[in-house]
Amino acid sequence: MLKRVFSYAFLTIAAIISFFPFLWMIISSTNKSVDVTKGRLLPGSYFLENLSNLLETVDLVPALMNSAKISITTTILSLLIASLAGYGFEIYQSKAKDMVFNFLLLSMMIPFAALMVPLFRMFGSISQTAPFIGIDTFAAVILPTVTTAFLIFFFRQSTKMFPKDILEAGRIDGLTEIGCFFRIYVPTMKTTYSAAAIITFMASWNSYLWPLVVLQSPENQTIPLLISVLGSSYSPDFGVIMTAIVIATLPAAFIFFIMQKQFVAGMMGSVK
Amino acid sequence: MITVKTKQNIQPMHSTRSLRMKNTAIGWSFIAIATVLICLFYFYPMVQALIMSMQSGTGTNLTFVGLDNYARLLQDPTFLTTVKNTVIYLIIQVPIMIILALFISVLLNDKTLKLKGVFRTAIFLPCVTSLVAYSVIFKYLFGQDGIINIFLLKLSIISEPIQWLTDPFWAKVAIIVAITWRWTGYNMIFYLSALQNIDHSIYEAAKMDGASPFQIFFKITIPLLKPIILFTSITSTIGTLQLFDEVMNITQGGPGNATITISQYIYNLSFKYTPDFGYAATVSYAIVIMIVIFSIFQFKVAGDKNA
Amino acid sequence: MKKVLALFLVSILFLAACSSGSSKDTSGETKDSNEITVWAWDPNFNIKAMNLAKDAYKSDNPDLEIKIIENAQDDIIQKLNTSLSSGTTKGLPNIVLIEDYRAQSFLQAYPDMFHELTGTFNSDDFAQYKIAPTSVDGKNYGLPFDTGVSGLYVRTDYLEQAGYTVEDLQNMDWKKYIEIGKKVKEATGKHMLTQDPNDLGLIRMMIQSAGSWYLKDDGKTPNLAGNEALKVAFETYKEILDADLVKPISDWSQFLAGFNSGDVATVPTGNWITPSIKAEASQAGKWAVVAHPRLPGVPESVNASNLGGSSWYVLNVPGKEDAADFLAKTFGSNVEFYQTINKEIGAIGTFKPAADGEAYQAGDDFFGGQKIIADFAAWTEQIPQINYGLHTYAIEDILAVEAQNYIKGKDLDKALEDAQKQAEAQVK
Repeated sequence: MLKRVFSYAFLTIAAIISFFPFLWMIISSTNKSVDVTKGRLLPGSYFLENLSNLLETVDLVPALMNSAKISITTTILSLLIASLAGYGFEIYQSKAKDMVFNFLLLSMMIPFAALMVPLFRMFGSISQTAPFIGIDTFAAVILPTVTTAFLIFFFRQSTKMFPKDILEAGRIDGLTEIGCFFRIYVPTMKTTYSAAAIITFMASWNSYLWPLVVLQSPENQTIPLLISVLGSSYSPDFGVIMTAIVIATLPAAFIFFIMQKQFVAGMMGSVK
Repeated sequence: MITVKTKQNIQPMHSTRSLRMKNTAIGWSFIAIATVLICLFYFYPMVQALIMSMQSGTGTNLTFVGLDNYARLLQDPTFLTTVKNTVIYLIIQVPIMIILALFISVLLNDKTLKLKGVFRTAIFLPCVTSLVAYSVIFKYLFGQDGIINIFLLKLSIISEPIQWLTDPFWAKVAIIVAITWRWTGYNMIFYLSALQNIDHSIYEAAKMDGASPFQIFFKITIPLLKPIILFTSITSTIGTLQLFDEVMNITQGGPGNATITISQYIYNLSFKYTPDFGYAATVSYAIVIMIVIFSIFQFKVAGDKNA
Repeated sequence: MKKVLALFLVSILFLAACSSGSSKDTSGETKDSNEITVWAWDPNFNIKAMNLAKDAYKSDNPDLEIKIIENAQDDIIQKLNTSLSSGTTKGLPNIVLIEDYRAQSFLQAYPDMFHELTGTFNSDDFAQYKIAPTSVDGKNYGLPFDTGVSGLYVRTDYLEQAGYTVEDLQNMDWKKYIEIGKKVKEATGKHMLTQDPNDLGLIRMMIQSAGSWYLKDDGKTPNLAGNEALKVAFETYKEILDADLVKPISDWSQFLAGFNSGDVATVPTGNWITPSIKAEASQAGKWAVVAHPRLPGVPESVNASNLGGSSWYVLNVPGKEDAADFLAKTFGSNVEFYQTINKEIGAIGTFKPAADGEAYQAGDDFFGGQKIIADFAAWTEQIPQINYGLHTYAIEDILAVEAQNYIKGKDLDKALEDAQKQAEAQVK
């Protein structure tokens, strides 16, 4: 019983600390700029005014759509590519593949800033021959970020906990190798996929540096770029900025809320 | 290179030679797309960055200087400061965060716990909060007359407001608090997903045998989670060694370089100062080398058999 | 395996669909047509001025389409550097706004990428201190735009409580400022100013008032050890801190909050802060602007200085002639246009012939009817001309460290010598 009380107390404190800045952000979106800079903690009545100012100054809806297109495509492709690879590295393990795996891990270790100029040069030359994946296209934003060693690593580590004997059962039932992957592995690893989807969607939704340099036209702007523009002024309207941020944060929070329902204890037991 | 010692190869039991060949081919095809794309979008630019790290000059006026940049690195007081700061963050922050995330996940994995969804979402929220909001909020929380100081003063824990962001020591503390706040929920996700993959009957059996919660945690949960613990500690190490957002947005590396990180120095060399992309690439490779060393160390510590 | 391939192909198709949807109106080399693009920051100031210029130009040249794109300043710097250093001109704008402190970095790092503007405007028409940062080897590359002429914004009500009038603050030096500051603190309990330890803007203003800078006239050699103006500036800075006149802050929003919430009695900064000061309408009539204090004991120091300010540059990409013509006929020569931007947005250019217009002589009720534009224009004329050179921000980061050491008790000469050594290693 004591353990129970402790659990609730600890989690409540952690949740409050975690939630407080988020709450502050929401409160700020209802205040006018001068009050936001003064750190006012009470809700105000300026939300609608902030919202209408926001919609007047920037094209919020197209930017949300752009971000959604990029993030959804990136998430689907990333999950597919990385889980295939993570599965391949672990299930069909061999010395040579381990070497390749370790080699791929190296790609995580370099800061992205160092790759930006060469990557930009690469997409600059692609633009000459294939403008549809060149600079200022969504493809140029998605392609370099769609395969990450990070996610492959995560899938591989998770696969280590996957009960491999059920694959054998599948094979005996006449499933092909790829059939085993889609019919057995994917459904069993639902929570792993949920976690990966949350993380990938969020990273893509918030990604800033590469979209910033590669997307030139205002029509192609994503949400983080738009928020950055809102702060370009010498006297930025912080109420409007906070309103934009609240709107920008909701989709990622929503995705999490939907996906976290997958985290039900004892999942594996039910599969067996 | 990092070496992962392997479990015995998993091969179908009655495999003929041709079947094995076929399986090898299938195995490689699973990893083909990922490998090709990573080579194209990471290794090709990485090689170019390596070449650039042997050049020096402003903007496009680059000349080949061989290893001069690497020699300059070792005598560059700013670089040495950035390494020192980054390692401090790494050593103090990563263990705190990993343990905290693990602990919270285990609490949240309790089947009978109520309001799980609410707790999980609240704890995860910091890492979806936009950086812009994050920086404004943190500067308020840690401001001289910010909420944290008001709180501490009210409770009489301190008698004078702490200069959180303008004092070299406290600024580091503020950064560590900020990273922990933002990334604990993120790491929690990996643990939660892994905990779901543990067969619950193992716990039931242990309880039957009269194991205490502590025994269960250390004897069952930790060993079973080892692959993911290794994963989170390596990725957190990488994240911390490449730390940029928090410092850039909260202290800009100040006061007087007290909180500056290696990645921020790369940013400054590329964009804030007259651009020197050659030297910036050299600093980037210094990060790569450090991460490789730390990662090998972590793989080794995590041990052979089940990692 | 087929299934995977199919899925992969579908995804690629999806990708293609996404990208084709977005690239249709941007499809590549539209630069040859009559369209030019402009990158700038701050919607209330630079962007508005550009829009007014577009309107002014349009009546005579209806064929040229001018597209103005708003970006944050840091974003422009990153985009420009990445594009220019990779040698990719695709997506670059025709005209870009660059801060004067950074101009030489761009001009010298990417020598062939900027279009020379010499001869498209008369450089004698502009405040002379703007010419050095915008030219290389006597050739003009930038068209000077706004002035960062600085002034000391003061709260007249706080001064009164301490027994001072605005007259007492005219043409004073920093010693007197500190003396007044102590009295104001005593009488009102308010700090005199806010300071961010990462931002040495105050030091920059102090040394420019004496015609000195972090670098020697060549724009490359660090000028820290033995720089008398810099030394006095640091001593003054420390005195201000020691007298407890400073409310420490750590970012822009706190800087704005400092004066908007009435926490500080003065704001020494560039004139571009005026709209932010006026944002707190309840403080109307309580503010005045006086000339920037000069450095005590430095004979060269005048009561005028500068903080920030930026200029327009034309990139060497198709459309450059149109872009240069557009700039020349608006920002480069149009007196009437300068009257308009002054009336509409309070922008003070550095185009001298504009200063005689009636808009510059208007009083501002927020500042008790003071003719602040005329005052700023007069101070602009006195700003000492210096070459900001290549490494302003690199050296400032080094100095910020030594400034901290000095404040904590390190000997000043030693601190500046150490900074000099580091700077020489950094910018060689």
